[in-house]
Amino acid sequence: MDLLFDPRIWQLTVMTAAPLLLAALGELLGERAGVLNVAIEGIMAFGASVGFLVAFAAHSDLGGILAAGLVGALMAVMLGYAAIRLQVSQLTAGLALFVLGVGLASLLYRLAIGVRLALPRVPTLSVWSIPGLSGLPVLGQPVFAQNALVYLAFLLVAAWWMLLQRTPLGLRIRAVGENPRAADAAGINVFAIRWGCTIVAGCLMGIAGAYYPLVLTGAYSDGMIGGRGWIALMLVIFGRWLPPLTLAGAVLFAYVEVLQFKVALFLKVLPPQFLLMAPYLLAILVLVGVYRGARAPAALMRPYDREERG
Amino acid sequence: MSVARRSAAAPPGISIAAVYMLAVGLAAVVTGGFIAAFGANPLVALGTILRASLGSTTGFAQTLNKTTPLLLGSLAVALAMRGGFFNIGVDGQIYAGAISATGTAFLLGTIGLPGPPAVAAVLAAGVAGGIVFGGLPALLRARWGVNEIFVTVMLNFVALFLTEYLTTGPWNDPMAGEAISRPIPAAANLPMLMPQGGAHTGILLALACTLAGGWTMSRTWWGYRIRAAGDNPVAAHLGGVNLAAIALGTLTASGALAGLAGAIEVAGVHDRLILGLSPGYGLLAILIAVLSRGTAAGLMGTSFAFAALLVGSDSLQRSIALPASAVYVFQAIVVLCVLLGGTSRLGRRG
Repeated sequence: MDLLFDPRIWQLTVMTAAPLLLAALGELLGERAGVLNVAIEGIMAFGASVGFLVAFAAHSDLGGILAAGLVGALMAVMLGYAAIRLQVSQLTAGLALFVLGVGLASLLYRLAIGVRLALPRVPTLSVWSIPGLSGLPVLGQPVFAQNALVYLAFLLVAAWWMLLQRTPLGLRIRAVGENPRAADAAGINVFAIRWGCTIVAGCLMGIAGAYYPLVLTGAYSDGMIGGRGWIALMLVIFGRWLPPLTLAGAVLFAYVEVLQFKVALFLKVLPPQFLLMAPYLLAILVLVGVYRGARAPAALMRPYDREERG
Repeated sequence: MSVARRSAAAPPGISIAAVYMLAVGLAAVVTGGFIAAFGANPLVALGTILRASLGSTTGFAQTLNKTTPLLLGSLAVALAMRGGFFNIGVDGQIYAGAISATGTAFLLGTIGLPGPPAVAAVLAAGVAGGIVFGGLPALLRARWGVNEIFVTVMLNFVALFLTEYLTTGPWNDPMAGEAISRPIPAAANLPMLMPQGGAHTGILLALACTLAGGWTMSRTWWGYRIRAAGDNPVAAHLGGVNLAAIALGTLTASGALAGLAGAIEVAGVHDRLILGLSPGYGLLAILIAVLSRGTAAGLMGTSFAFAALLVGSDSLQRSIALPASAVYVFQAIVVLCVLLGGTSRLGRRG
């Protein structure tokens, strides 16, 4: 029971959910416009490495976050060039970028840091308690005593919801993802919308990657993303391409991840590796239900060619 | 799924071979830049790579040994890809095969089974382990339409943690260190192909599997149906192909091949289960499959080339501390260039 109502656990849960949410919201935007980005894991790894290195060198966490967003956007430009411009398979191009991101992350870190005895560290992002609200009984600590990126993630959930459901731009994005030919006929610039959504998505994925060294650990290590990019990709389907449901999914996964560490403390008979498997096994279980009735944007993964006969 | 096949051809005047050569050249320049940044002369490094991987008996044997998992892994990926599926879980399936093979070898050790049957049993156990880890995503895909990409990726982590548990826990060899199991009985070791260099016979198995796979794909009833389903699932379905059976068959077979690779790593290379058994063979295998466009000859040649690169980069790792990830960067750039060159037929699908 303690595990369900302990505000400390929920504070950690929200903190752990934020990067999943940032990456998933990025992916959601891109997919709504019809571009699948399966390179999330690689972009996050690259963002983690570059974000950490810049924060370490410039003594600025903000600098690290911005740099991570920038390299994420650069990776997205490569994906966009392949998927939107050259119309190659988004899966193949995404997988190649995934491997490139993972490789570059490790290579750049080694290049900049070399082999050192003491692990280089950066101070983690500080908590900004919102005066008044953080004193609220249940939600206070978990929601209103967090770092800036958590607030950003929450704001983006609301912003994406508003954007997609309530604004003309959102309608255009959805039109491009559902029926680009009709959107084009209606005078919407399909390519501009796709490029914009893809690049913003990559930017958010890069920032989501930088979250791990800059908020959670204070240091970079290879493999620190540990499949969370793939989980973020899954959360978009789990959330039925809707921001609020995606938020719910991110919190669910973060809760299991936090819980597993707590459970490990008093369940010493169970080897820790089996608890560490929990989020991944949960993902497989959830997937079985998730695919029932899931309906992706109709033009997802379909390149748009103006000259092709519809 | 797009029904219409894109017919836009490569830019005129650029042949496929030229695109591949340009891609390798560009990747070499970028990687060379990194090598220079690590404080070494790229040309000297290239010499080191070639000497270490192909210039000596030991080096060549090492290259053959590394070709084996890359070839089986990329064959596994290519097989699934031909049916329209993406197996990103080759690493997990390699570990699953290695776990199953190691467990079986321990069991056989207590019974005292002699050489050839023991080796066969260990390899079969590896295949079985791969079938379990490849079969689950296959089943979920065939039964509920769950995307195999997610399940195979998630199982990578499950297999990795299982290996960590076994190698640090029940199977740990306290004399060898962390995350290393006790050695398997000598009877279960693969026979050697080049005893003086340390090359095992696994490469022969990998080549046989590749030739058999290529033949199945191009010459048999099953291969025809798999290709039909991969090229155009709607038309294949209307033509009477059971798509669920294709998913089940190709993904399970894909897992079996990766599992065999895991068993070969245990019985041929390490003689133990270790946590670092696969330094990302699964990732390399995906890109090798893309680059080779799924042809048997392409898989063999590309796997051998990247195996040589891996062996060569190992020696650079020792001399200039260049991390192994440089190989990923090199390979990913080659693939991206080939994709952007617009000639990869595999890249155009989906």
